[in-house]
Formats: sequence, structure tokens, C-alpha cells
Amino acid sequence: MVDLTQSTASRLARRVGDRGPVREFLMFALAGDLYGLELTRIKEILSPPPITMVPRAPAAIVGVCSVRGLLVSVLDLRRKLRLVERPLTRRARILLGAAESGEVMGLLVDEVRHVVRLSAGEVEPAAAALGGDVSEFVLGIGRPAGEFLILLDLLSLVSS
Amino acid sequence: MAELSDKAREEFFSEAQEIIETLSRNLLSLDQNIKAGLTDPSLINEAFRAVHTLKGLAGLFGAVRLGALSHRLEDVLDDLRLGRIDLGQDVLDVLFGSVDAYTRILQSEKSGSDEELDVEHLFGELERIAASATVPESPVAGYDLDPGLLAVLTEYEEHRLRANIDLEMQLYRLRVQFDLATIDKVLEQLKERAKRHGEIITYLPTGEATSADTIELDLLMASRDDLATLIGSFAADHVVIEEIPRRARRTVTPGTLLPRAATSVGHPERDAKLPERGGLEQATSLRSLTQTVRVDIRKLDHLMNIVGELAIVRSALGRVSEKLRADGQRKLAAELQRLHRNFDRRLGEMQDGILEVRMVPLGQVFDRLARVVRQISREVGKEIRLVITGAETEIDKLIVEELSDPLMHMIRNAIDHGIEQGQRRVEVGKPLAGTIALNAFQKGNHVMIEVEDDGRGIDLPSLVEKAITLGKLTRSEAEELSRDETMALIFLPGLSTRASAGDVSGRGVGMDIVKTNISKLGGVIDVHSEGGIGTKVAITLPITLAIVSALLIQAGRHTLAIPLASVSEAIAFDEGAVRLVDGREVITLRGQTLPLCRLGRLMALESESDSMLRRRFVVVAALGQRRLGLVVDFLYGQEDIVIKPLGKSLAGVRGFAGATELGDQRVGLVLDAAGLIEEVLTGVDAPRSLERAGG
Repeated sequence: MVDLTQSTASRLARRVGDRGPVREFLMFALAGDLYGLELTRIKEILSPPPITMVPRAPAAIVGVCSVRGLLVSVLDLRRKLRLVERPLTRRARILLGAAESGEVMGLLVDEVRHVVRLSAGEVEPAAAALGGDVSEFVLGIGRPAGEFLILLDLLSLVSS
Repeated sequence: MAELSDKAREEFFSEAQEIIETLSRNLLSLDQNIKAGLTDPSLINEAFRAVHTLKGLAGLFGAVRLGALSHRLEDVLDDLRLGRIDLGQDVLDVLFGSVDAYTRILQSEKSGSDEELDVEHLFGELERIAASATVPESPVAGYDLDPGLLAVLTEYEEHRLRANIDLEMQLYRLRVQFDLATIDKVLEQLKERAKRHGEIITYLPTGEATSADTIELDLLMASRDDLATLIGSFAADHVVIEEIPRRARRTVTPGTLLPRAATSVGHPERDAKLPERGGLEQATSLRSLTQTVRVDIRKLDHLMNIVGELAIVRSALGRVSEKLRADGQRKLAAELQRLHRNFDRRLGEMQDGILEVRMVPLGQVFDRLARVVRQISREVGKEIRLVITGAETEIDKLIVEELSDPLMHMIRNAIDHGIEQGQRRVEVGKPLAGTIALNAFQKGNHVMIEVEDDGRGIDLPSLVEKAITLGKLTRSEAEELSRDETMALIFLPGLSTRASAGDVSGRGVGMDIVKTNISKLGGVIDVHSEGGIGTKVAITLPITLAIVSALLIQAGRHTLAIPLASVSEAIAFDEGAVRLVDGREVITLRGQTLPLCRLGRLMALESESDSMLRRRFVVVAALGQRRLGLVVDFLYGQEDIVIKPLGKSLAGVRGFAGATELGDQRVGLVLDAAGLIEEVLTGVDAPRSLERAGG
């Protein structure tokens, strides 16, 4: 598990600009691109425990796993976002977040990078160019220090 | 409602709920007593105390609406217990209305909504009844009673005194010395003893104690027994008993001497026997109150989870001791083995203990149903006799909570559609009052609940017609239905046996919903009906949902658990014995046909090719009359598991009751045997159209 507070502190130096309220995003990689989820929405980052496939489950749900006794459904973000599927590497992580229903869900990602702070001015509204069927999950595009970050909305990801 | 901590709120709600349930029980007993021509003053007293407590509680927690209702209800109950109002069915109706209003108010408080609840009418009724109270004339004592004593009687004591005199009871004065240190206890014992003979109406200090540590009381007692009997009974307690002489009585007609007192509490000849019983009950309930703690069910779930995790530790311990033995450390291994066994036993005891705490008697939900029966029967003008057996049968608290709605629907159906109108019943030679029997009993690891009525039975032809009209069935399909299959039509959505949808409750409160709810609890529901004789709906439920013994199996690469309660046996699978009947694979097991389900194929867990190689097994799942053979790849054996529900995101997935931890961090899915049987057998038992309608 990554210690979020420490990494947050180390990123403070990289803070860019001062336009509007600042939000923190957890940056992670998926199929070669960088994505971000609002940090406050994420409860925990785990190395994937064994995941049990659930037959007949919605396609994006890879299965269930146990997190200290709590049963968690795991959503494969590659599948959810219709990206190319590839076997997990040892860098793969599960991000825990709560759905609107209160259910804690896991999001399977390729690799967790770090936390970025973005002011409102650094977030562009979602571009239609991203493709119609996944744009509902996209909050906008972040551009911290030359990087290109697709910001996702956790609630719509796990609630649909 | 005032701002409160969550915990305090919880406490408040559960206590209020408990009091309201007590009140409801009291009213039901009163109702029964009145019907039987009895009266038990202690019931009205208990109801009064319940409402009084609730009023205090409401005040404490700033629940204004609850307080307002309690206040009005308290007035009425006070008048009732003091005999200022007659207790008739109309009054009882309003009292039952108050219980419903309490429930609604409590729900609305709980959900934090400020919606307007229509209680004005009820308040009006309560005030009307209270206003009708007549204050009895002041008692003209026919006994030579000390005026000093009479002057200090409370209104209630005065009422009891009049009631007892009217019952022709003899009055006695008991003079007793009490040790100040033990007076409470001794006085209680004395009262208890007195109940065998009558009732102690009041007591007053005489002011003539012999020492500083004692107090002398005069007890005024009414009894039907004579002085000698009483002296014999109280001799050991150093009680001095005197009979209070009658004055010249009957110079005034009893009616004016003791107005209304007896009529207010019912028939005197029966009444005399009752205080004893009421008193005992009161004593028991007081004791149980002090020894009970209220526990949030989630805390028990939490404890159960810990037990589940300890069970994993236990397995790990077992592995370590095996390893030690294999490494040649025999002595250490034996020692660890001993500890392991001990741990195992204690853990089992702990698990049983927690399970036991979760168990509550079905009576909790039956009481609520009794109220519903009373209400509906009055709404629809049918006289109903409710016979309850097995209310003490215990079942998991969670199941009880989920049961009340389905059972209520079933009872509503029985009254609406089952029981005929009184006149019709008399015409066909049945007793005027319809009988609904609510039976519960334990059967192995299951609890059976039956709702049985002696009504007209399910009208199968019109059920079929309705199904055809609704397009659930073609006429030719209908002709092929067996009797059981026809009966199963009742569980299709939208079917009601009544031709008109206009009657009181009944657009056929969906039996489909009832069935769904029961299945969710891992139960099955069966209907039996005989035209003109009656209908019986039987529910079979597991005793607990928390921890179950399960058979661990393998299908494909999956390790799955099947609750043992729904497994009847497991046998080796012989591919050659499989026959095809109606396009479905079956085998013959001890002369009976057993439909098969290849679990791997059903769940798409494996490809056909690798499954052909192995020796396989058939696990026979059985629920009620229905059996299904599940073809699996391997049997691991039996284990106690804690079933955890799958999250909401997987709510639509059928066939699984949840998941469980298997140790070494892995999770195994738990099969929903009832659901599987349902899913697979719908194609065997019922015509294809049913599958379509249900699917």
C-alpha cells in the first residue's frame, strides 16, 4: 500500500499555478495512457489479492476479492473503458472507492504513479474526441507539467 | 426530533419499538379476553404503563408527535383502568389504530422525514372517547373501613376496592412488621402470596413500629377465602389478620352503591380468578427486563466475522501441526495438535453461542400478524379465528425481519381470497368464523411456517383462465398442465384468482413477490389447496443465514461451496447412466428420476473437452420435494463457512447466495441451491411458457 500523505507532501513542490481551487488527483497508468481519479474518492491502494471470477457477472467486473474480511467487487478499468486487455504485471494495483450505494468497489489499474494537484484552470472540459461511449466517465483533461491526464469520475465509473 | 447521537437514537427507537410491541400484545390479549367474556385488569394496567413510559421517552427525546399521541392515549387508558369508560370493540378499534399510528410515526421519525401524518382523525377519536368518561359516584363503603385509609386511596386503588366489593369479596386488614432493610423484598413476596387468595389493594404505615429498624404496615386485602384459610396461609409471616366487618349492606341497591365498577372490568365471576395470573406475569416481565441487553444485529455480524476469521487461523494451525509432524517433530506436533483440537472445540462453542443470541422466537412476527388479521377481518367483515402454534420456534433475527411482509401478504390473501363470506360459509356447512392457522416448527436445519385457511380453496380453472387472458399460457399448453403445475401459476406476476380487482385489498398481493422474498432468504414456498376445503401455503426456511456448514466442491477451476442444508447426498457420476428425457439429462437414483445440471457448463466455467477426462461426482441438492443433481469435478469435504453477500454491483447475478473466505486469502462463491433448483427445474416441472414468464 502506498502512503498517500507522504507522496502528497513530496508533490507539493511541483504545485503549478494558483488559479482557482486546487484538487488532488491520483495519477495512474492504463494501456499506456495516464489517468487521474480525485484523491478524496480513493480509500486505499492495494496489491491485488487473489481475485475470484464470478460467472454471469457484468463483463467489466473481473470478480470478487476479500480485503480484510470485506468482500469487494473488482472492476477492470481496461474493460470498463474499452481498452486493450493484457495480463496483469506485478505493478498492477487495486484502488478502493465507494459507489453511490455505499458499496466499496475495487478498480484494477496497470500502475499507480503519484498524486498531482490541479487548479480549476488546469482542467479542461472533456473533449468529445475521446469517444462517445466512455466520455460519460470523463471529468476533463488535466495538463500538469507537460503531462496529459484523463480525469475520470469515480462515481459514474462504479455506479453504472 | 431533537439532535441526538446515533447510538442514543438507536436506543430510543428500539426501546420505543419494544414498548409498542408490548402494547400491541396487551391489546390483542384484551381483545381475546373480551371475546371470551373475560377481563384482566392487569392487561389494561400494563398497556397504561407502556404508554406512560413511551410518553416519558418521547419527552426525553423531543419526539413531539409521539408525545402527543401518548398523552391522549394515556388519558383514555387511565379512564379505562379506572372504570370510567367501558371497554368495547369500538374503543379497542381506536386503541389498535393508535398502535398503527405509533408505528407510522416511529418510521417517519426514523427516516427523519417531517411529512404530515394524518393522525388528526385518531386524535379526535381518542378525545371523543376520553370525553365520554363518566366519573363514578363516590364510593359509599359497605365496610367498616378506616376513613383515614379511604382518604388516601389513589383513584386506581379506589376503583379496585369498588370492583372487589362488587365481586362480593371479603375485605381483610393485614398488620405486618417489616424490617426496614428487607421491606421491599418481603412486601413483594407477601403480595405474591396474596395473589393466590385475592389482591392487596393498598397499604399504609400504622406508625406503631416496635423498634427503629422496623416499620409496621396495614395491608388492605380483598379475598374470596375465609379468615381461617388466610391465617393458615400467612401464619409463617407473623401477619396479624383481621376481617373488616360489613356494615348493614344492601340497604342501597348495588347499582347505585357501586356504579359501573364491575361492568367496566367485565364479568365478575371470571374476573376473580385473574389477578393471580396477571400478577405473576408482571413479576416475570420485570425480572426479564433487568437481565436483557439490546444488541445491534450488526455487532453480532461483526462477532461472527471474527469467528469466521478465527476458523481460518484454526485451519492454519492444523497445517502447521501437520508440517511439524512431517518434519519429524512428533512431540511438538502432538502438543500443537492437542491445542488445535481444544481451540476447535471452543471456537465451535463460541459460534453456537453467537448464533443462539441471534435467534428470536417467531412469536415476534406472529404478534404483528395477529394485529393484521384483526384489522383486515374487520375491514372486510369476515369473522376470523387465528390459531397460532409454534410461536416459540426460533429463527435468525434477520430472517424474522424479512418474513413479516411475505407472511402478511399470505394472510391477507387467505382472508381476502380464501375465507368465504359468513353467509356462504353457513350455507356450505362450515362454521361462521373462518379459521386461519399459523403454524411454525423446526425440521432439522430448517424452520417450516405454514399459513392454512379453511376457505374455498384456490379456484384452479379460473386461475388457468386468468393466465391465458394475461397471455402467460396458451390454451393447449394449459390442457397439458398437471395439478401441481397449475397450482404453480399462482406465483406468476399479475395473477389473482379474483375476477374483480375492486375488492378491499385484493388485486392479488403478488404471490410472485412473496416467492421472490422467500427465495432471497434461501427458502422455498409450496402451495396445497383443496377446492371447498382450504389452502395451505408452506414456507421452508434455513434457521440461520450467518454461518452454515457447506460442502466444498470444484467445478472447472472454481472452488465453490454448497450449503449442506440443501444437499441430500453426493455420489460418483457415471456418464454412461445418463439418459435424455424431454431434452434434459437425467439419471435414475434408487428408482427415482433425478434431473442433472452440469454446473461447469451452466456457469460456463470450463470447456467440454477437459471435463471428459476426470472422474466426477453428482451432488444431490434437495429442497422440499424438489431435487437436482449437480455434476461437479471434485469434492473437497465439509466446512463451516460465513456467507457474505455479493455487493450491489453483482445483485443481478443469479445462482449465488454470496461468497466466503476459503483461507489463504482466496474467496469462494457459495451456490444458491434454491435458486439453482428453481432455475434449472422450471424447464422440467413447468411448461415452457412458465419459464418465459418467469425468466
